[in-house]
Amino acid sequence: MSKNPFLLRAVGLLAVLALVAAACGPAPDEDDEAAPDPEDTAFTWAVTGADGPTMEAVADLWNEENPEQQVELELLPPEADDQRQAMFNDQVTEAGQYDVLGLDVIWTGEFAEAGFIENLEDMRDSVEGTSIPGAIESAQHEGELYALPYSTNFGFLYYRTDLVDEPPETWEELYDTVLEVQEENPDIDGYVGQGDSYEGFVVNYLEFLWSDGGEVFDEAATESLLLEGDHAEKAITFMRDAFEEGVFAADFNTMVEDDARLAFQAGDAIFMRNWPYAYPLLAGEDEDDPTEVADDFDIAPMPAFEGAPVDTISTLGGLNNAVSTLSENQDVAREFVEWAATDDGPQEILAEMQPPPTKASIYENYEDIVPEDQAPVYEVLNLVREDARARPPVPGYNSFSLAVQEELHGVYADGDDPGPALEAVNEAAENALVEDPEDVIEEEADVDEDE
Amino acid sequence: MSDSTPQGAPGSVTEPGAPAPPEAERPRPQGEGMSERALGRAFLTPAFVVMGLLALFPIVYAAYESLFDFDFFTRTDFVGLANYVDQLTSPRFWSAVFVTIAFTVVSVTLEFIVGMIFALIMNAAFKGRNVTRAVILLPWVVPTVIAGQMWRYLFEQRPGYINEWLGLGAIDWLGSGASMFWAVVIADWWKTAPFVGLLLLAGLQTIPNEVYEAARVDGATWTQRFRNVTLPLLTPSIVVALLFRSVDALRIFDLADIMTNARLETLSVLAQRSIVRAPQPDIANTLAVLTFVMIMGIGLIFIAMMGRDVVGEPEEGS
Repeated sequence: MSKNPFLLRAVGLLAVLALVAAACGPAPDEDDEAAPDPEDTAFTWAVTGADGPTMEAVADLWNEENPEQQVELELLPPEADDQRQAMFNDQVTEAGQYDVLGLDVIWTGEFAEAGFIENLEDMRDSVEGTSIPGAIESAQHEGELYALPYSTNFGFLYYRTDLVDEPPETWEELYDTVLEVQEENPDIDGYVGQGDSYEGFVVNYLEFLWSDGGEVFDEAATESLLLEGDHAEKAITFMRDAFEEGVFAADFNTMVEDDARLAFQAGDAIFMRNWPYAYPLLAGEDEDDPTEVADDFDIAPMPAFEGAPVDTISTLGGLNNAVSTLSENQDVAREFVEWAATDDGPQEILAEMQPPPTKASIYENYEDIVPEDQAPVYEVLNLVREDARARPPVPGYNSFSLAVQEELHGVYADGDDPGPALEAVNEAAENALVEDPEDVIEEEADVDEDE
Repeated sequence: MSDSTPQGAPGSVTEPGAPAPPEAERPRPQGEGMSERALGRAFLTPAFVVMGLLALFPIVYAAYESLFDFDFFTRTDFVGLANYVDQLTSPRFWSAVFVTIAFTVVSVTLEFIVGMIFALIMNAAFKGRNVTRAVILLPWVVPTVIAGQMWRYLFEQRPGYINEWLGLGAIDWLGSGASMFWAVVIADWWKTAPFVGLLLLAGLQTIPNEVYEAARVDGATWTQRFRNVTLPLLTPSIVVALLFRSVDALRIFDLADIMTNARLETLSVLAQRSIVRAPQPDIANTLAVLTFVMIMGIGLIFIAMMGRDVVGEPEEGS
């Protein structure tokens, strides 16, 4: 080594660069100054860090109103998979650090089936008629409540008013409109949305499926209806044709929410499917995030297919609050969950910030509550919320969703054969209804033996 | 990495555990107590125990757990090798194996060729060679996660740097098909060729100049010197470089996950998805063990080759 100072220097350089890289990363979450006095901390609320400021405002409000029973806010990573993993870890290790779990709407069945969250059916009266129906639907497992609604999210169609006179009401109309506009402006992309192989793609695919009258499950969630009729195939082949024909942007297959938003905001697209969060940014709310379309866009309900039984459809997003079965503070945790679902305080914070609330009365009186520049969003939300659908919160939703991502992404983006892919998704849907398909087969075998 | 200091070495501190150098048997101080060698072993024992616990235990435990069925995260029935039968008969598993091995062969080959060129450049004496060395090594010091995001950004169609620079039009690099494979290979190539270069450079520096001078005196051309002097004397370093890179490439996860959102499904990607996204610990454990066995097997083949080299050397040298 002494002969070769260069190698030493290289190692030194590596160490320095590694330190620099570490220093450049975001600082680890420091407990903010608003953290409650540990002595008064009664329980912990674990929830996504994606809308951190909103969650902090809600927690602060609770702490103001309940000085004796302070909530400690535990902001989890913004990625859904990481949040789920953190909550799993808390359960599997029986750490029980989290009393209230902010669950993505698609996790209710999985968490309930695994015995991670308390049955809250006895609190139904407080949310029935108060929260919007789709949100209540997403908080149920086998017809009973295991969480209470908290926040929601709707998709709608953003369109360019300088290129399109009226928003299309059907997918076919949208398809033709894109091709027409592109004749005049060959460089503009048509439709952008969530096409990467992740949960967002499932949301988009379900909107195509549902807006043709297709269903994944029957109402009681006892069987898969995916292959009933040709809706599932029509939905995915429409996506494939649109992708191949350039009606969808060429990078639709790698887009997540913000990719779509940035493309639309730069004036590169005619239509976009996105959540309400994009609206203020497109309008130019953030000076550091310049927009080319501030005066040239508007929003409308999502289209449906021609001849479909529905006019519009939107897949719901959002969070429900559940009480962990490991919680030693059940009473106050339940109180908090109910308060977050039904009290005007937290629900109005959601209305003023993001994401949208679940309390129906806020939508009815939005003019008095939401900031003026957000009013158009609530105007359209009122048009779509009755037709918004929760993704089926069945126990195996996660594996159904993975099957959609893995099988159907290749069909529209890579020209795979839709037949076998849809068969595989259908099988995953069937399996999603039972906890562990292998167990059922074994149990059936046991029964046979007994006979 | 090299035993290239024959001058000096006054039998002072010998590495414990290393084969005893013949001249190093120093007279032991009189009196009772353990020999230096036994003492060395005693001092090393805690380190080996800790390593055993840290490295061996998780592997053995994963192998043990892979013999069970899981209900969510709860271990249920002992199922023997059923999980292995499931995986070894699954087309998805074999497709992941194929992707992983193809990636390893292609990327390691490319990295070896470019790494060799880098090493020869870094080894040559010329003005500004320190700057050259630093520049060549830069990609290697960039953390893989950051490199992955950078390459993803370059390959993405919007804004589309690579497509524009190369005048390729709208090539969909990361969305699907074979182009994903090449995008990840290129990123890995860029990232680790310098590492191969560094390993080979260390080997090049152990080749005494006298050998080259002798070859030159005999009238050997550059090509002849490279083929008949450099390559044979560099073989141990080459094997080490290929071993490190192959074992590393077989584990490829980060670039595939970041650049293609796990659409390029290698073995590690499949295992990670099975535990984090699915969660199916039985499948994940089984995949992890199968991946381990595969990597271990390939590693052992390399080590056997290395052993042959070591044995072969004294004959040539005598």
